Amino acid sequence: MENTNKNKVEKGQDLIETSLMASGLIVGVIFGFVLQRGRFCMNSAFRDIILMKEYTLLKAVALAIVVQMIGFHLLATMGYIQLYPKTLYWGAMIIGGFIFGIGMVLAAGCASGTTYRVGEGMMGSFVALLGLMIGGLITSGGALIDLKLYLQPAEGALKAITTENPGPLVGNANVTLANVFDLDPWIFVAIIAIIILAVLIWKRGGEETKPEGTAYEKIFKKGWNWWVTGIAIGIIGIIAFIAYKEYALGISGGWFAFLNALITGKPDKLNWFAFLVIGVVIGAAISAVIAGEFKLRAPDARRLLQQFIGGLLMGIGAVIGTACNIGHILSGIPQLALSSMLGGLFIVLGCWVTAYIMFMRG
Amino acid sequence: MSSNVKPTETLDVRGEVCPYPDVKTQKKLKKMKSGEILEVLLDYPLSAERIPRSVEKLGHEVLKTEKTGTGEWRILIKIK
Repeated sequence: MENTNKNKVEKGQDLIETSLMASGLIVGVIFGFVLQRGRFCMNSAFRDIILMKEYTLLKAVALAIVVQMIGFHLLATMGYIQLYPKTLYWGAMIIGGFIFGIGMVLAAGCASGTTYRVGEGMMGSFVALLGLMIGGLITSGGALIDLKLYLQPAEGALKAITTENPGPLVGNANVTLANVFDLDPWIFVAIIAIIILAVLIWKRGGEETKPEGTAYEKIFKKGWNWWVTGIAIGIIGIIAFIAYKEYALGISGGWFAFLNALITGKPDKLNWFAFLVIGVVIGAAISAVIAGEFKLRAPDARRLLQQFIGGLLMGIGAVIGTACNIGHILSGIPQLALSSMLGGLFIVLGCWVTAYIMFMRG
Repeated sequence: MSSNVKPTETLDVRGEVCPYPDVKTQKKLKKMKSGEILEVLLDYPLSAERIPRSVEKLGHEVLKTEKTGTGEWRILIKIK
């Protein structure tokens, strides 16, 4: 009797687990589709600011952040979710973020950009992805683990002022822009949203591609306008938070779990993000095939090596800094996490320094 | 009109990754003379949209952006 009950409970657990993983895959497919249509890559978004004075993708990133910031705080205020800002380790965010930023320029794509381009058939991005997975596992449980532990000391983490009450919407004691000042998070949400939206409206026009044709062609054949991409990615991030509950979107952690499960032969190493990233590749491939943009292609040997090293650095940086560009900039900043703001800032700085050295000198 | 335009030079950046198609195109444009026509062949979707935008900002004329095959594009640029 007791046994059958236990079995029922376990089966119930399995069912919950299975549907959770299925939700990761589904959200991933949609995310991959949108990434490919919107050509959404933060490496391009930040690098092009200094390299080409191009702001199209940056606008999409900014809009996605605003949509998610409002969405996350609405959900948290209504009690559907709790926010989970990441732990703030000063050294780890600065060093990890900077290494990640260098890596993404060399890899010719951030974690999400690299992942969706694998779905487009770009073998250079596939090589970068292998580097990312290896770099991550080396740092999380291999040769570089001491560096990670040194930079992420438990006593060095900055917590909210009152750790018993990290703020009404926050599920852990990690610092956000709101609880560090002990203020209502909506004050910051409103200020940041108004500033970003005002700049986007003020600087509107001029840069977007204007897709022509029927609605079908605009959705499936042409690249999307930045604002369509930005809103779509923002909504996907909100859906991700509802589905996974403990965080929104993330890319690098999913790949680390994927390789870890393959190496150890333990399927329980697979997490929600592992299903998400597999979904992203599938969704991007579907989108690329429909648009007639899927093509197996590779750069020359020198570039492949460059992309592999870039991927390796991204993996190392993401583990040291506790997240990649998606985990920090897309998902962490909208939660007002100070850790993600610092990590995101140094990802951008690493990107700019490397882009300057590689493309702009002389 | 532009379909039978003869390019002065061709830049083949197929296989190249972000942002090399754009960077190499801009370098090439700087070396060419006014009125000459550059043909860029590429297979990177983002650059197929970004190159026309950025060269127009530099004042050059984009005569044509066409999809020539699966995941391949051809851009014709007239140097200012």
